[in-house]
Amino acid sequence: MKNIVKIALISSAACLALVACAKKQQPQTDPAAEGAPAAEASQDSAAQALTQAQADSLAAEQARLDAERLEAERARLEQLINQIMSEDVYFDFDRSELTEKAKELLAQVGELLLKEQRFTITIEGHTDARGTEDYNFTLGAKRAMKVKEFLAAYGIENSRMESVSYGKEAPKAQGETEEAYSQNRRANFRVNIKQ
Amino acid sequence: MIAMKNLWAAVAFALFALLPVQALASIDTIAVDVGISVFKTTPIGIVPFEESAGIDWIEERPHQILTRDANLSGRFDVVASEKFNLALFSRAKAKHYMTGKVQATNDGKLAVECYLYVSQSKTLLLGERYTVPQKELRRAMHAFFDKVIYQLWGERGVASTRIAYVSRIDGVKQVVVSDYDGFHRTQITRDSTISMMPVWTKGNKGLVYVNFKTNRPRLYTKNFGRSEKPLFQQFDQTYSPAVNPVTGELLFSSSKDGKTDLYVGDMETGKARKFAYLKSNQTSPAWSPYATEVLFTSDRGGGPQIFVMGKDGSDLRRVTFMGRYNERASWSPEGDRIAYTSMDNGKMNIYTCALDGSDIVQLTNNAGNNEHPTWSPDGKLIAFASNRSGTYQIYIMRKDGSNVTRITQAGENTAPTWSWFYDENKPQPKEGSK
Repeated sequence: MKNIVKIALISSAACLALVACAKKQQPQTDPAAEGAPAAEASQDSAAQALTQAQADSLAAEQARLDAERLEAERARLEQLINQIMSEDVYFDFDRSELTEKAKELLAQVGELLLKEQRFTITIEGHTDARGTEDYNFTLGAKRAMKVKEFLAAYGIENSRMESVSYGKEAPKAQGETEEAYSQNRRANFRVNIKQ
Repeated sequence: MIAMKNLWAAVAFALFALLPVQALASIDTIAVDVGISVFKTTPIGIVPFEESAGIDWIEERPHQILTRDANLSGRFDVVASEKFNLALFSRAKAKHYMTGKVQATNDGKLAVECYLYVSQSKTLLLGERYTVPQKELRRAMHAFFDKVIYQLWGERGVASTRIAYVSRIDGVKQVVVSDYDGFHRTQITRDSTISMMPVWTKGNKGLVYVNFKTNRPRLYTKNFGRSEKPLFQQFDQTYSPAVNPVTGELLFSSSKDGKTDLYVGDMETGKARKFAYLKSNQTSPAWSPYATEVLFTSDRGGGPQIFVMGKDGSDLRRVTFMGRYNERASWSPEGDRIAYTSMDNGKMNIYTCALDGSDIVQLTNNAGNNEHPTWSPDGKLIAFASNRSGTYQIYIMRKDGSNVTRITQAGENTAPTWSWFYDENKPQPKEGSK
């Protein structure tokens, strides 16, 4: 029993030490140009301390710029993703052929995907509320496939695209009007970023 | 001059070209019967049960439950009478009547005696006794009613059967099961993602249905009281399940890369094979009563039309020719007709036709959308979903479209599928018997 308590104490102490180490190490990893020479220099003159501080602030500045750049990149990607996700492609009733307008829009999506090679997409095919659940699944699958084929012809690798049918189960607009129906006869995109 | 000749030739050609089109168009004018009742019903007397004092009724009374069963059954016309009335029963040609006794037991249950008599002679044909808590009275009366049907018709009734359907609960479609009359609803799925397309496995042990938890339609099975099991995970998107009534195998649709095909597989082993190699997309499979043939929908003509083929993929025939959208056929248990949904002017309606596509009868008309017909196991009734009231609800009608009765009251309910018979020990009625 005592042994177990001891082991527990030792291991928790080890944990604490590890955590402490991790915390201490953190600031060292940040500045890019640091390391062994800086440690040696620490015992030296005030002038050296000054250059040290300058280097620190430079490094901090660099880190800040990096973060800003990352943030800008993230925002840009997010904006692109949102753009792709908002580009719904619409279809005529019980049809899966791409309209001229759909093709124009898909060309823009294709362009984005060519530029951002890390993007992979899921193409979702949807139908309006009319008709049976079963047949609408097949219709949604056909629509998603037509979009996938277009993008493949545009130069997007098939491995970056997945198609799935939601049939009439995920309408964008509610109601039994032609307006709502035409909004729901669509294919849309989900975007993932490949790691 | 030459140009003139050419013009005439063009006109003549155009006229000729039009001819076959017109011949095709005439297919659209096949005569359709709308809801002519061809039902033979038998009058039956129902007399309220004798009651002991002190029963605190929360449920309907026994004779009210029997009246509802008789009205729904498609076999009887109810002749209601407060007490036995030979003059009334004889005038209404009610050769039999049902009545009984009900009393409260000491432990708070109900003891119900149910009788079926011959009106003229007062001969007792059938007597049953049930002692049940009040909340199980309905099922006891359903059991008695099915015994009455067996006594008088020599066939199994459907009062003890159930219906699975999809109910929107807290905004999410869930699979539920209720008695055939809409009472005793039980929720089967409890997912945050859509569940849909329930069908019954053999022996009514559980259900197969579609769920979207993996962001795509995929089949699952669940035996009642057990946990859920994914089916045929080797396929991408799976839906439209149909259980083979003889072997219990599952026929289903799978979509991959925009192409939808039928597959048949064993739910235990998970092994499945392609059912038919066709260029078109195929969905909504349905077995014939003895699983020798399969109905399905194909888009080979552009829109959905119903086809039939042998279980080995042979002898493919087209069944529906009228209209541009005929889908989701189901084979009547008597084997002689199919029910399906057809879309006209954007509205869905239910039709039946003979196996060769002739003798089309329109069962619903001018009352919102009507879809997803499912036969009762005795072939007398069809349950379906309709939004005629403003929201989608489940209805039952006779197979000729008459006597439409709503069985769900609140929320949104769709996609009913009738169970198999519940009293499996009764002999199967002969094929072709009505």
